[in-house]
Amino acid sequence: MLGRIIAEYPGKVRLVFKDFPLASHEGALPAAEAARCAGDLGRFWEYHDLLFVAQPSFARADLVGYASRLGLPVDRFTTCLDGGQHRQAVRADLAEGRAAGVRGTPTFFVNGERMVGARPFEAFRAAIEQALNGTAPREPKNP
Amino acid sequence: MRRVATALLLIAVLSVAGARAQEAPKFTVNPVMARGPADAPVTIVEFSDYQ
Repeated sequence: MLGRIIAEYPGKVRLVFKDFPLASHEGALPAAEAARCAGDLGRFWEYHDLLFVAQPSFARADLVGYASRLGLPVDRFTTCLDGGQHRQAVRADLAEGRAAGVRGTPTFFVNGERMVGARPFEAFRAAIEQALNGTAPREPKNP
Repeated sequence: MRRVATALLLIAVLSVAGARAQEAPKFTVNPVMARGPADAPVTIVEFSDYQ
């Protein structure tokens, strides 16, 4: 979905991912930390995509296994993960989201305009067009 | 009278602009967790977890 947005609006859209691990999702916090550890090793987005495919298998062995699958140096990855090197940063994202009114996931902000919940591509397109041109695209007419 | 009306209009416009400025949240950006040019006209911030 977000990859399609980048492809359809090259150079016009920046995507920013922020962690918001819900307390009810036991594996969400370590998964978020693991993705950042992968980011330290230059593979954040690949690991991020892998996690969405692999959910909810987020035991430590799973997280290390995904790093291994991406060819990351496992020793460096586990040092980062086990040391909780990004725990504070994840919690800072969580606090930032709460301050902005985020209550559930996913929540999006398109140039500051909040969109709550998973949305179809067309909803993003309308929000992007609105942000770019001040108008939403017209619905395509049936021939 | 006209001056008063102009002043009131100015206050109203500034109030709306100020309120909008306050409404738009500002987020910190970790460049590792961002895709696309930093000066893109549209920024989509996603708060999510992986589960």
